[in-house]
Order: sequence, then structure tokens, then C-alpha cells
Amino acid sequence: MPDAAIQLIGVSKFFGKYRALNKVNLEVAQGERVVVCGPSGSGKSTLIRCINRLEEHSAGRIFVEGTELTDDLKALDEVRREVGMVFQDFNLFPHMSILNNCALPLMRVRKSSRQEAETVALSQLERMKIAAQAGKYPDQLSGGQQQRVAIARALCMQPRIMLFDEPTSALDPEMVGEVLESMVDLANEGMTMICVTHEMGFARRAADRVVFMAEGEIVEEADSDTFFDHPKHAKTRAFLAQILYRRPAEA
Amino acid sequence: MYRLLQHKKARSWALQSLVLLVSLGLTVSFVVIARENLLSQGIATGFGFLERSTGWPINFALIEVTDRSPYWRMLLAGLLNTLLVGLLGLTFATLFGVFVGLLRISSNLILNIIGTTYVEIFRNVPLILQAFFWYAVLTHLPSPRSAISIGEVIFVSNRGLILPALNFPLLDVLLLGLGAVAIVFGALQIKKHSSRAAPYVWPASAALLVLLFLLLLLTGRSPDSPLVTFPELRGLRFRDGFDIKPEFSALLIAITVFGAAYIGEIVRGGLLSVDRGRIEAGRALGLRNFRINQLIRIPLAVRAMLPALANQYVWLMKATTIGIAIGFPDYFMVVSTSINQSGQTIELLALLMLGFLLINYSIGFFMNRVNSRLEIKGKGPLVDG
Amino acid sequence: MAESALTAPAPDNSLAQWLKRRLFANWWDGLITVFFGAFVLWVLFKVVGWGFVDAVWSLENKDQCREAAGACWSVIEARGRLILFGLYPYEQHWRSTLACGAIVATMILSCLPWFWSLRRLPLLWVSGFGVFVILMYGGVFGLPLVTTEQWGGLALTVFIFAAVVVIGMPLSVALALARRSPLPVISKLAGGIIDIVRSLPLLTILFAAAVVVPFVVPDWAQGDKLGRVVLAFAVFFACYQAEIIRAGMQSIPPGQEEAAAALGMKYFYRVFDVLLPQAFRNTLPSTINQFVITFKETSIVTIIGFFEVMASGNAAVGTGNWTAQYVEVYVFVGAIYFLFVFGLSRYGDYLEKKVRLGVA
Repeated sequence: MPDAAIQLIGVSKFFGKYRALNKVNLEVAQGERVVVCGPSGSGKSTLIRCINRLEEHSAGRIFVEGTELTDDLKALDEVRREVGMVFQDFNLFPHMSILNNCALPLMRVRKSSRQEAETVALSQLERMKIAAQAGKYPDQLSGGQQQRVAIARALCMQPRIMLFDEPTSALDPEMVGEVLESMVDLANEGMTMICVTHEMGFARRAADRVVFMAEGEIVEEADSDTFFDHPKHAKTRAFLAQILYRRPAEA
Repeated sequence: MYRLLQHKKARSWALQSLVLLVSLGLTVSFVVIARENLLSQGIATGFGFLERSTGWPINFALIEVTDRSPYWRMLLAGLLNTLLVGLLGLTFATLFGVFVGLLRISSNLILNIIGTTYVEIFRNVPLILQAFFWYAVLTHLPSPRSAISIGEVIFVSNRGLILPALNFPLLDVLLLGLGAVAIVFGALQIKKHSSRAAPYVWPASAALLVLLFLLLLLTGRSPDSPLVTFPELRGLRFRDGFDIKPEFSALLIAITVFGAAYIGEIVRGGLLSVDRGRIEAGRALGLRNFRINQLIRIPLAVRAMLPALANQYVWLMKATTIGIAIGFPDYFMVVSTSINQSGQTIELLALLMLGFLLINYSIGFFMNRVNSRLEIKGKGPLVDG
Repeated sequence: MAESALTAPAPDNSLAQWLKRRLFANWWDGLITVFFGAFVLWVLFKVVGWGFVDAVWSLENKDQCREAAGACWSVIEARGRLILFGLYPYEQHWRSTLACGAIVATMILSCLPWFWSLRRLPLLWVSGFGVFVILMYGGVFGLPLVTTEQWGGLALTVFIFAAVVVIGMPLSVALALARRSPLPVISKLAGGIIDIVRSLPLLTILFAAAVVVPFVVPDWAQGDKLGRVVLAFAVFFACYQAEIIRAGMQSIPPGQEEAAAALGMKYFYRVFDVLLPQAFRNTLPSTINQFVITFKETSIVTIIGFFEVMASGNAAVGTGNWTAQYVEVYVFVGAIYFLFVFGLSRYGDYLEKKVRLGVA
């Protein structure tokens, strides 16, 4: 695909002797929403962490918006500006207010003035319906609120691609809904998204494509309807049976 | 060039090479300049000077040293002095510190106040000031002519505390002490491994100890010199007794008092850190207070205290260096006097650093052994709860 | 069901109840209270008697000191200036006082959270220190010149402390960052320096700076003895503080740095905006403790031959008429240290409680 957002070609990743990713090939188009799922240890987190080089891939090539990820630090800076990431543990900066959490990276990375940065920050916080908490500190918010702030913080950089690494796994069940709602809204606005998650309801609703990984390889990928209704691989079926059995309401 | 520096590996190589180059450059220049200076002052390098005699005496030593002794013997005496005052100071400070810690967490308000006052006073005043103070106190005692006497055999004056002397070389006393420790350890090991020998272990050790004592007593002394010599006032000074100089006593008292204040806080911290849940479990099991202390609180508290205690011990050993301020010939003082007298600055400084590195590693090693033996298995570092 | 006639027992929070619990909980507790209470009262009685009631205060009455049962505080009036100012010229003592005041003000201002940014705090200390040096040294603004050889007493103690902090803190940050660097040459070098310096006594290092450095360094780079010793002291401080900062950084979840990196923040901003502020907040008690220890350790330079407050105290006692008044002088010097050190420690405790509650 000529103008793919993300291209992974034959990507492998080793941690010492342990092989986390085995010659993975994946392409994500502009505006596409991909959900990556699989049992733990399948390499799905490693995969998306390679995309913004929080992990360095051991072999293969990765292209983000046409730029290849190599040892070139300048290219890396460009890539990280275009790619936003949301973590399982939120990772908000506890010593700064919510507003500052969002504004400071803008001031440092895009060299905006404090005025401009705070304006953008407030608008993104509005978008995530959490602007009222702008003056508070992260410890004073609930998990769901913190995660929405984390999403807003990533959006302040106006990324073209958003990566989500199990964004709702650390949340109490009551709060999962509000975060998923925000992510669905984001998806509907046309953001290119790769989301590692166990939330199959979200996948069914918002994903264009679902990718199933096991033991460092992509076992199956298909559009979401085909994936859930007609899984081809035995491993996929086994996984779905487990997941869906645990959450009957999602089926 | 800029493009190259943006490459991660290139940048890391460049930075590391720069640092290496600068470090090597500095080291080389130091060596070159040092050599120039040594040559211009006519001082030979190397450790040959250790065989030369010093020409100056020191006022306290465990081994026989005079002003004719060679440098190496003088340095050894200094090192032994540091070890003596350090180890004694650590022991007394620990014993006293436990007491202080208990005062601090006592439920009785008066005891609490005493403990807190003690800690606040002696922690917040520098050690060297305390050393000067105790030294001044000890040297303001009456002169030997009007010394305070206890039973006419022990005398306290501004020249020190004088006791009757066992005609037993100090080194032999140390050997006896070490021998006793070794025998006890051996006894404990035998007791652990062999149940058949167990009942005989303690009597046998006692017999062995007495044997060792007699052996040391009979060798190394001329047969008709008396066993005990009593101090006698002759002229301005006491002779023939075993005298503990005020320099030594002042330093020991200062280290003990100061150390006890810090160790008291460590003990308090350790005791307070024992999880209440564990104590409650003990109560629920019907254990009485004494047993709870013996089986639960104290073992857990000791494990919690070990890292801080190890740090404190290392610090206290290093603190013995202030002995030079009050005239106690510890390792540092002997080295610095030697540097002044012989000019062999670099070699002596290296020996000084080596000595202290050795002492530190020994304490660290010993505390690590204690730590691993006591460690709570499977939990990694001693974090409670 | 009948209404219960029981009401909740009255809470026993009164002072009397608290005292009973702490002093007379059971019979032997009571015994201890009585016995040790009497002991404490006796000690207090003796101390107050010696220090206040029977004491001789003014200089005119110093002949009474010999017969007096109490303290002879006249020595303070006679030698107080020597202890506080050393050999500083008599008419310029006001400058020395103001200079110390500047540092004290700096320390007090450091307590205000407004100053707690990585820009404002260093600026505050550098300007406070600058004011100190200008006041003490003179040569500008019409102030007569007073060289460092004449600086002494409390002012010298405060100078050494402030200089060690101002030089040592940035150095400690550099060492801590070097130690955690992924580049092996840099991290091992920093690690080696930190480990070796920390295992040596402070006196050894200061002595080496005073005696050995002139040996290995060309004449033009030698500087004066005070400068060398202060620099060495700062390196010693930096090695200890670097370990404290390292512990602080290790307690930060790795996700913090990852999030900053994912946002595109470069190394410098990641460290100074995200990691260091958290590391310092996490290790505030240890850092304050390090400051306290450093202030006390300035007394060690007396062995190297500097005339700071410990040495000037000894000089006040040492020769002449006042040798018998060593207790009074040492108590005076001790009180000076106690004031600074106790104040700093109390502030440290207060900060620790505040930070634990999660405010700011």
C-alpha cells in the first residue's frame, strides 16, 4: 500500500534469547481502526511499542507515515510527534496539574507559548468531556477520569495515529464504559488507531479490522464481522471461546 | 557531521570516546606533574621508605612501637588503633543505642522525654565538638598527685584511667579474645551438626579456653616477673599500671554517645516498622507479651534495622578519623604525620585509602553475611508488608 | 423492644486521663515515673542552678568566676565576637552578620513551595550566595576588601556550608544522571567515582585536597586552599546526594519516562520536567538529612587548619584566662550548631508529613 499509515515488514524482536515477535507483517491504512488481541505473552504490547520505538525491533523494517524507524534520532523525533500513545497505567505526571500535563509537552515539543498550549489543552480536555478537572492533580481523579486525561494529553500533540496499550485493563468495571465511549468517538472522527485490548464489544463496534496474535505471530486477521462470526483458525476459535465465555454480555 | 551525530550509535560512541580521552588525559597529566614535583624535591617514589625508622613516637599503641620503629610498624599500630576504638565504639554504641531506642518508644512519658532529649542533644551537635568536650573534661581532672582513687588500686587523673596491669601483652589479650570467639563459633557449629557430641560441647569449649589462657600465660613472659603490677605514683606520674589515656577514652566516649543517639533512632524505626498485624496474630494465638517480643517483634525488627545499621557502622568507623583533633594516633593521624615527615605523599595517601576501603569492605561483607542468614526468604529486600 | 437505657460512655480524652495512661498505667509504671521523674527534676535543678541562678554574666564580674558555683558566661562577652566572626576586622562585623543573615534568609525562602521549581531554587541559592560573598569580600560598592584568610567563625562555617550546597547539588544531579546512563563508559566511571568517594572518610578527602592536589596539578590551576577544600567537600556531598537522587529516580515507575518519550519530549526535558521533580519529592527527607549532616561536618575543616566556628571556639578557650571555662564555650558553640541543625531537621519532618499527604 503506497500511503499506508504504518507498515511492518518481517519484524522480529528478541529479549535476550526470548523471541517476542517472529517476522510479523502488518499494514495499517490511513484512517483505519485496528484492534489487536491475543493471550498474554502473544507479543501484542511489544508490537505496538515497536511502532513508536519504545522497544527497538531486532530485525525487519518499520515505516510510520513513510518514515523508517532506524537509529536516526531526528526521524524518531518526527515519528513520535505524529504518533500518540495511551498506556494501561495512564502515566500522568503526578506533580503537575491536569492542565499542565497536557500543555507542557506542547510547550516543549512544538515550542508553543504557554497561552497557545493551554488553549489547545483546554479544547482537548473538552473533547474528552473532562475540562472541569483541569485545575486538579492526577491523584485527585478517578481511574476513568485519569485515562481520559491521558487520551486528551496525547491528542494535544495532534497526532495522526493513536496507539492504545490495554487502556481499560487497569480500570474498575464501572469506569471502563466512559473511556471506551471516548475511544469510539475518536474512531468515528476518522483517527487512525491501533488498539490492544480485551474489550471485544468495543472491537465489534468500532474496529475495521481485528488482528489475532499468539506466540509472537499474527495468526489471523479479518474485518471485525468476519473475525467474530467466522473465525478460521483453531487458536482463534479457542481464544474467542474463552474471552466470550467470560463476558457473555458482550457476545 | 550534524547528520552523523543524530545517529544513535554514532552519538554514543563519540560521547564515550570523549569521556575516555578526557579521563586518560587528566590521569596522565597528574602522573607527569607528580613525577616532576617528586624529582625536584628529591623524594624517591616507591614503598622503600616503609623500612626506614620514623624518628617520632606515638602515645598509644597495641603493639610495641618506639620512635625507632619503621614506618610500616607505625602504620600498622595506627590501623590497629583505629580498629580498636572503632570496634569498641560500635559495640558500646549499639548496646547503649538499643537502650536509648527502647526509651524512645516506651509508653512511659518520663522515659520518653529522657530518650528524646538525649537523642536531640547528641545528634544535633557535631561529633568533633563532642570529642573536644569530653577531652577537655578528662584533661581537667585532678593531676596525678591528687588523683581520685578507687580502693587504692585504680586511679583517675588528667593523665588517664590507670588500672592494675595484668602482665600480659596486649596482643596476647587480643589473641585470647579472638580465640574465645573462634571457640564459641566452633562450638555452635558442632552443636548444630552433631547431636551426639552436643552435650559435651560447652564443657569442652570451657576447658579449651582455659587451656589457651594458660598457654598464653606461660609463654612469652620471663618466669619470675609478677602476674599483676599495681600502679605506683612516682614523681609526677603513675608507673607500672595499665593506663588508658584520655585521648583514647575521650574518642571512645564521644563515638559511643553520638553513635548511641543515631542507633537509638534506628532501633526505634525498626521496632515501629513491625507490622501490627503480625503482633495481633501473635495475640490471637494466645502468646504472652514476653513471647511476642521474643518470637515476633524482635526478630522482625532486627531484620528491618540491618541496612540502616550497616550504614551507621561504616559511618562510625570513618568517624574515628577525627581522633587526630584530640591527639589520638589513629590510622589517619599516623599517615598524615608520616606525610609531613617523609614527604611520600602519594604512596601514603594510597595506603590511607586502601586501609579504609579494606575496613569498609570488611564491615559491608560481614553485615551482608548476617543479612543473608537472617533474610526472610522469598521476599527480596527487607520490605515489610 | 424496650428502649435501651445505656448511653455511650463519656470519652476519656481529658488531659488527666492521658497523663494517667502515659505515666501511671500500672504499678511499676508508676514507680518508674516517680523514680525517673525525680531524677529528671534533680538534673534540671542542677543545670538551671549552674547555668542561670549561680552564674556570672557580665565581664566586669569575671573575678567572681573563680568562687562562683555556677557558669561563667563572661567568657561569652569576652570572646563571643571571636567565636562568631573569627579574625574579621572589628568595624566590619556588621557585614559578616548581614552575610550570614542572607544565607539564613535563603534557607527560609527555600521552604516556600513557590520556589520549588528547577529554575527558581538554584537561582535563589546562587543569588543568596552571591550576596554573601559580596558582603564578606567587599572591594565593591565602597566596602573595604577583606580577603578569605580573615574570614572566620560562624561566617566561615556558613560560607563553607552554602558553597558546598551550591556547587554540590548540580554536581550530584550530573553524577546521578551519569550513573544511570545506558553508555557503559560513562555509567561505570560515575559509579566508580561515587563508590570510592563514599567509602572514604570526609577528612581523608579534604586532606587530600589540601595536601595532595598541589602536588599533581600545575601551579596556575591550584587556587587557594579554601577553594580546594570547599571543592573537595562539594564532591563528597555530591556523591552522597547522587545516590539519594538515584534512589529517588528508581522509585519512579518506568511508565513516566515512557509516556514523556512517547509524547516526543527529548532527553533533557524528560529528565528535568518529569523525572527530577519527582525524584526530589520522593527523597525529600533524605536530602534534608544530607544537608543537616553537611552543616555538622563543616566542623571537620578545623583539622585542616581553617578558622571556622569550632576552631574559633577552641581558640577562645585555649590560651590565657579562660581555660577553665571550656564548658561554657563549648555549650555556646554547641548551641549555635544546635540552632541551625535542629531547625533544619524539624523543617525536614514537616516537609515529610506534607509530602506524604500528597499536597503539591
